[in-house]
Amino acid sequence: MAEQSGSILAADFGNVHTRVILFDLVDGAYRMVAQGQAGSTAGYPAQDVRAGLARAVEQISEFTGRRLLSQEGLLITPENADRSGVDDFLATASTGRSLRTVVIGLVPGVSVASAIRAAAGTYVQILTTITLEDNHAEEEHLNEILRSSPDLIFITGGLEGGAQEPVLKLARTVSLAIKLMQRKPVILYAGNSALEPMIRSLFEGQTTVLVAPNVRPTLEREQLESAQLQLALAFNEQQANKGGYGPVGQMSRLGVLPTAQSYSLIADYLGKTVEGGVLILDVGSAVSTLAASLKGRVSTTIRTDIGVGHSAVTLLDLAGEDAVRRWLPFVDAKHQIRHYALNKTLRPATIPESLKGVYLEHALLRVGAETLLGVARPSWSTLQHAEVSDQMPPFAVIIGAGAPFTRTGTPGFGALLLLDALQPVGAVRMYTDPYGLVAALGALARVRPEAVVQILDGSSLDRLGTAFCVEGLPPPKGTALKVKITLDTGEVVKHDVPAGHLWVYPLNVNHAAEVEVRAGRGLKIGGRSKLKMTAVGGSCGLLFDGRGRPLPLVGGVRMRGEMMPQWMAEITGEPLKPIDPSWLLVASDEDDSDDRPDDTLNRKGLFGRGKDGKAAKAKSKAKDQKKPRRGLFGRRKNAPARSDDLPEPDLDTFVDDELPDFSDDSINNLDDLRRS
Amino acid sequence: MPYYPEQRHLLDMTVIRRQRFLPEDAVGRVEVRNGAVVNLRDVVARGLLPSRYVIVEGARYFNLKDPAELSDLMLVEVGETVEVKAPLAGRAGQRSKRLLSPVAGVVALVADGRILVQVEPEEITLEAGVDATVVGVENERGVIIETFGALVQGVWGNGKRSIGSLRPEPEDGIESLYGEDLDMQYRGAVVVTRRPLRSTGLMVLEAQGLGGIIAPSMDCDLIEESESAPGAVLLTEGFGSIRMSTTVFGMLSGLNGKQVLLDAAQPERWSARRPEAIINPTSRASARPPRPQANFPLNVNTQVRLTRSPNAGQMGRVVSLPKAPILLENGLRTLCAEIETLTGEKVVVPLANLEVFGR
Repeated sequence: MAEQSGSILAADFGNVHTRVILFDLVDGAYRMVAQGQAGSTAGYPAQDVRAGLARAVEQISEFTGRRLLSQEGLLITPENADRSGVDDFLATASTGRSLRTVVIGLVPGVSVASAIRAAAGTYVQILTTITLEDNHAEEEHLNEILRSSPDLIFITGGLEGGAQEPVLKLARTVSLAIKLMQRKPVILYAGNSALEPMIRSLFEGQTTVLVAPNVRPTLEREQLESAQLQLALAFNEQQANKGGYGPVGQMSRLGVLPTAQSYSLIADYLGKTVEGGVLILDVGSAVSTLAASLKGRVSTTIRTDIGVGHSAVTLLDLAGEDAVRRWLPFVDAKHQIRHYALNKTLRPATIPESLKGVYLEHALLRVGAETLLGVARPSWSTLQHAEVSDQMPPFAVIIGAGAPFTRTGTPGFGALLLLDALQPVGAVRMYTDPYGLVAALGALARVRPEAVVQILDGSSLDRLGTAFCVEGLPPPKGTALKVKITLDTGEVVKHDVPAGHLWVYPLNVNHAAEVEVRAGRGLKIGGRSKLKMTAVGGSCGLLFDGRGRPLPLVGGVRMRGEMMPQWMAEITGEPLKPIDPSWLLVASDEDDSDDRPDDTLNRKGLFGRGKDGKAAKAKSKAKDQKKPRRGLFGRRKNAPARSDDLPEPDLDTFVDDELPDFSDDSINNLDDLRRS
Repeated sequence: MPYYPEQRHLLDMTVIRRQRFLPEDAVGRVEVRNGAVVNLRDVVARGLLPSRYVIVEGARYFNLKDPAELSDLMLVEVGETVEVKAPLAGRAGQRSKRLLSPVAGVVALVADGRILVQVEPEEITLEAGVDATVVGVENERGVIIETFGALVQGVWGNGKRSIGSLRPEPEDGIESLYGEDLDMQYRGAVVVTRRPLRSTGLMVLEAQGLGGIIAPSMDCDLIEESESAPGAVLLTEGFGSIRMSTTVFGMLSGLNGKQVLLDAAQPERWSARRPEAIINPTSRASARPPRPQANFPLNVNTQVRLTRSPNAGQMGRVVSLPKAPILLENGLRTLCAEIETLTGEKVVVPLANLEVFGR
């Protein structure tokens, strides 16, 4: 019975969302039947991922009418004759504390560099690296290890057939440290294989020792896969002890697999079946992952310090405020960006409600993707056997995963974010993964590989469409792309995409068209002056990006204030939401982390600070003014120079001497009066 | 389908169960038994925090062929406290060679022909923090205690813990205490301010000897300053200049003079701790109050806190829960709730931006 029906439930535990998908056989082929989603419950107050899992599974039950949980809240397996339960359960997770790791090796640029690259394949946080070349005494190494209090110590070093004593010396220090530690870290050894027996004996009876083949057997060769697998197992083991993952792992045939491995597997699969490169990008709340398949080889990069929720502050520390500012169409107030990031870290599941908020959120998202790309691209050069260039290598398929890309509610929004974040070139098919399908398929590939093919053929990803992106910088007011679309009805559509603009032709999901694109003078499309192909549509359609590469954002806040709302309107089809002119003149944090009256004050009332308040008045005055004048609200003399060269606005324009001063005290008094 | 919002407790009377554990890397012992009734100042566990280790090469010093022989020469035992230049190991006989400790500390390990001395580890004691009953003991780590009282959770803390009387700020604000003579009613007190915390407020904390401050928000510039402040600082809303909700301020003001445990824990993703204030009642309640409800779906009439601008910090009531996603002014389309705020204003707010109080 079980083998006949073959129903499979796959759960992916993210840091913010828990997503569950039910797969089943429909007309002899596997299909995604239903999906559910709930908030993840690894944190306070439940601190047990099973609560979120049960909520998401209940949604599927409600949708399909199939009972999947027993009265005790346990998953029913196998599937029964009344279609309650499922035959198989699979689980992946990107949540959970990353594996806190100390890397130990001989030479920073050789074995240690390889170990760090291996660690980039799973949820690892490198606390420190210790090498023979750091000129620290053994006692310092010992104390550094103890201070770090790692979950895992990754020992590498020594080429095959090379010197042994230096590696052993470092290993002995590690052994000493472990003897002093209350909580013993796991040892992963992936160095000179001749030392394996000695390493095992050194740590015998002290802690678990995992062994993988030397990550750097020769100076020229690197082998990371086995070490990556051992790291994944160690991560899995750590997860099993926390937050209810233990029972979830027991329900799952494969335990709880790292989500990122699914990305890697599916990128690999697609890379072998699709002509051209494949890129999967997931910018999550706490963790971001980029899996790239180029020329049949896969590189996966995971960063636990890049994200737009839990990791928003670490991302900001990594990239800097200027990187975020480059994506803002307004002058930010002092600390506005940092306050936004801090508040997102405190409440990672929240979404922006204001227009400034959405620009800040998506600026962080774009910067997160850019930063991740910066980290990942050096390893692509190995895949491509080429030097890293400024321009993205061509990818035939791009998949955006994670709530920031998939939960905008408008496909065009997601497409714009992918285009901005990755800046692809040439023709690229774009998808988003709103249901966590890639994570599920990666796990499924290990038990029913045929199902992966069937489900991907069934196209359960959200097809955005095909994008055509011009390379080079189009001259202002010129034509970036000349487009000719021949529909299957024979109808021909011609359109010139002006420089700096996007154009969307709404071709539906199950339709294809012949597309001929000519790049403007001095520009390229897919490395050539023209491109002709059959392109498939999608929820957005055919997208033509005439903005150029790299995206011209250096024009400053004025240009962004003009162009960014236009790009959004062009790609979503929603009405243009122009930037309030006052946003380009005066820094105000009114829209996020603002100074607002408390909840007993009627914000619409006479004494409120909402639309009738001082800020609104300042705004309206700013709108009325024809020429910005110099004044005190301009940039301070000692303020750090910005790349945007802005005229300084006039203080007088914004000082409102007619309204009473609603300082905090006066608000309190008013509030007290109201209460009395 | 039910939606389960984030919870941040704001409860006037509830059962509270909390871990009181020593830091993960501390070595210690539990001082109380399961079932014991503890007062807020009672020590429930003691421990030693790790500090720097010094390696003393014993086998090399005594030219031992077998490093294991060092154990036979040891004059002190593992765990023993030693002074600087105290003999660690030596051969028999008064004039024989002695290996002296280079530092004052505790002998931590003798292994591989070496002696490891931990330099004067810092002793820590863990207080119950509230009047409670011990309901669980984890050897060498700490205890789980259960109490009841009011619970107010915040979003950020400076990592400190303080116990004191709860006091609302003076009418002119906490800053009005700056430069004033010591005001004994605030000494050791946990002061609640409804205005964003400024640098002057932190100066007052130190100068007036306050036990702590509960504030709605502060500028990110003050993070370092507040972390080094002598008292606990808890933020209820976030960073920037967000004012405290009248509901929160009203509840805390109503507990004026009560003993409060201000546990200003820094938010950690994987920690069970949240920054919070626990206020024990002055007398035991006759009936056991309900525990916070972990499975709390959002319904019409549910009281909620709004967490994002332009309504951040406001409280309200769910009026309706539309089933279809709503297009926000900023272009995002998402599931929302219609909320009536305390002012009577009706606003549409994404479900993701609502918090419930746990009941």
